Amino acid sequence: MKRVLIACALAATACGKTPPKVAASNEMLTIGYDREPDTMNRYATHILEDIESCVVEGLVTNDERMNIIPVLALEVPTTQNGGVTLRPDGGMDVVWKLRPGVRWHDGVSHTSADVKFTVDAINKGDWKPESVDGFDRISSVDTPDSLTAVIHYREVYAPYRMQFVRGTLPKHILAGKNIDAATDYNRKPLGTGPYRVVEWKTGEYILLEGVPNYWRGSEFPKIRRLLFKFLPNTTTRINQLKSGEVQMVALVPWDKVRELRSVPGIRLNQVVGNGYEHVTLNQRHFAPFAELSVRRAMAHAIDRELIVNTLLDSLVTVVNGPIQPLSSAYEKNVTVFAYDPARARALLDSAGWVMGTDGVRVKDGQRLSFTLITQSGFAIRENVSQALQKQLRDVGIDVKVRLIDGTSISSVWFKGDFDAMLHWWQQGADPEITLFFAADRMPPAGRNINYFRDDTLTAMLYASDRTADETARLVLLRQVQQRLARLVPELPLYNTAKVDAVPVRLQGFTGNPTNAGPFWNVYQWRLSAP
Amino acid sequence: MIRVVVRRVAQSIPLLLVISLLVFALIHAAPGGPLSTYLENPNVRPEDIERLRKAMGLDRPLGVQYFAWLWAFVRGDWGFSYADGRPVLDRLLERVPATLELVGLSAVVALIAALPVGILAAVNRRFDRLSGVVAVAGISLPVFWFGLVLQLVFAGALGWLPSSGRSAFDGGDFTDRVSHLILPATVLAAALSAAWSRYLRRAMRDTVRRPFIRAARARGLTERRLLLHHALPNALPTFVTVVLLDISMLASGAVVTESIFAWPGVGSLFTESLARRDYAVLMAFLMCGSVAVMLLNLVADLAVHALDPRTRDL
Repeated sequence: MKRVLIACALAATACGKTPPKVAASNEMLTIGYDREPDTMNRYATHILEDIESCVVEGLVTNDERMNIIPVLALEVPTTQNGGVTLRPDGGMDVVWKLRPGVRWHDGVSHTSADVKFTVDAINKGDWKPESVDGFDRISSVDTPDSLTAVIHYREVYAPYRMQFVRGTLPKHILAGKNIDAATDYNRKPLGTGPYRVVEWKTGEYILLEGVPNYWRGSEFPKIRRLLFKFLPNTTTRINQLKSGEVQMVALVPWDKVRELRSVPGIRLNQVVGNGYEHVTLNQRHFAPFAELSVRRAMAHAIDRELIVNTLLDSLVTVVNGPIQPLSSAYEKNVTVFAYDPARARALLDSAGWVMGTDGVRVKDGQRLSFTLITQSGFAIRENVSQALQKQLRDVGIDVKVRLIDGTSISSVWFKGDFDAMLHWWQQGADPEITLFFAADRMPPAGRNINYFRDDTLTAMLYASDRTADETARLVLLRQVQQRLARLVPELPLYNTAKVDAVPVRLQGFTGNPTNAGPFWNVYQWRLSAP
Repeated sequence: MIRVVVRRVAQSIPLLLVISLLVFALIHAAPGGPLSTYLENPNVRPEDIERLRKAMGLDRPLGVQYFAWLWAFVRGDWGFSYADGRPVLDRLLERVPATLELVGLSAVVALIAALPVGILAAVNRRFDRLSGVVAVAGISLPVFWFGLVLQLVFAGALGWLPSSGRSAFDGGDFTDRVSHLILPATVLAAALSAAWSRYLRRAMRDTVRRPFIRAARARGLTERRLLLHHALPNALPTFVTVVLLDISMLASGAVVTESIFAWPGVGSLFTESLARRDYAVLMAFLMCGSVAVMLLNLVADLAVHALDPRTRDL
């Protein structure tokens, strides 16, 4: 083995003449990406659409402040600008005006026929789009002219603005085809975006190249080529960033942030994410969670500031509910359960939970002892769960921590087979949260995995979903947040920061709080002179 | 000889059937499934998950799924990946060259290192101690740790070599591809050569103690001739069996090494498919792996057969 090492060291010296480091330039930017896409079809993929969004544009996207902004649409339709009208039969019509002069990369014009084709293709149901959310409420699409698509909804659907965030499917390419099997499109989709796919080398990389006549002007995109290298192992990805083989890594894991701060040439761009880490309390599986005083006592027992300032290096901030500060629906004035272990103990005492001889509270023969599950291999979560264990123990609540691998854990919670879970939800720009809290949205009908039932709240949630007027909807959602905070169905901890490592010289990069991803404005990125 | 081959192949068919049933049961017993990744995404509603479950045929009883798979598999229809919808056979085949390249080179390097070290260690006590220490280190070093350290030193600190991947994005020239191979091949070869040199040493030691070697030495043969022409051929059959069995394990990909070095071989496809519970790819992968182990076992037997005349009357 020694000889092998010596031989390799010699060979390494020989190869050292061609150093692999390439400085980032407007010629090419190399991105270390954590996984290979399954398909480049934005409607069918079930992972983030970062690479896809460089090629296929939506009618809208959302910016780093979570404002919904038009891309292929001229404007976002609202009740105020006349783009949205409520029909007497309870339905809703949304008029999308398309941007004129936009062409697919093959030169064919992008028209309302493509919008109609997309809706029809998804509703036809003979292939496997990931989500048909909203589409299944569309009864038909009219195309009065080539740049106007009128979407007829059977009922009022408040999240309509994000309906076409994944763009449109090109009718002239896909009409009459089995889209699942349309490998040409699914590997090299035809788009209207600033880049096109040049090469997808399976297991290795996807290379994108700027298109010559991008509709925003021929000066865009500024960076000629983007190379996405698939590096699933986190340490390998970080090593490549340090060695300069990749110049950018999207979504740096929080526990790697500290070691990257000192890497020269790299800037860590941080935005407040539209997601929140919290402890789900499954009332169906562990009955004491159904008691409001137990939930409130737990909220008082947890020192969230301490967790954030120590374990998370203050990367994130404490939050008190599911809708995050960047959302237009965010309500700041809600009940806050400050860290107060004495108050927690008093609440439990008065609810009849008596301290047992082993330091764990008991009531009617039931011990206040449950298992907290969380994802293994997620270093920070493992640490946070231990902190929670200690803090809850101090008020007489016993917590056992069980780590479960990432693939298994989702089937565990979907079956409701757990007491409590430390995890996050990552949300889109629309503030809909009905799926998580409505009483009729417990699995398998939704993601109400607190198994929390509050009829008033459920009614408020559905009312907000069926309010097309933005202002009126936000009023309802603010009331929802206040009620949620009082009832504490789960324990909100902190929001999810999104940290991207980019070259110091990269201009125009803003990051993005949602799954629209940091590449939402890639057309305007450029590297300044060294 | 031909009869041996035919008999072994015939014996392996029921064995493969049992393996397929076991593997199918095991991967379905693991929690989660191809739809697990969808659950984390709030945009995918429960209605979508039900629709996809039906579309993928996952709503059928397990027994029905198994026999449908088996019937298609034996007819050469390996199905479509649950992850990206492409044919399983395409997904496997496109990964094979990278794995062959890595495993092939590592095995050759490991052999070149193990042969002289093993022989010398058998006859020279001082060298034996030294190589023993190095070999134990080589066997004990966890691959994921050793690989990452090599990356930090040779790619990070020294900047001599690319840390991972198979080539530069444009395919790379010969030097580029060799430089990408060095680190992963070193990691694999280190572990293999460490183990192999110890096996060979043991086999050689057993041989050099036997009377026919003493007799040969008494006839005045040089030590060199004694070792290479008399002892080595006798020690080889055991060694070759071990080497071929090790390689058969690696034929289904060096799973850890490939993931650490982002090597686009079948091993990293396996890791990825396991995380996504891509049953179609996993079944095909594990069946191919079993066939490879059986085939190389057969090759090992035939090689011993050829190397050792005493086994020929079997």
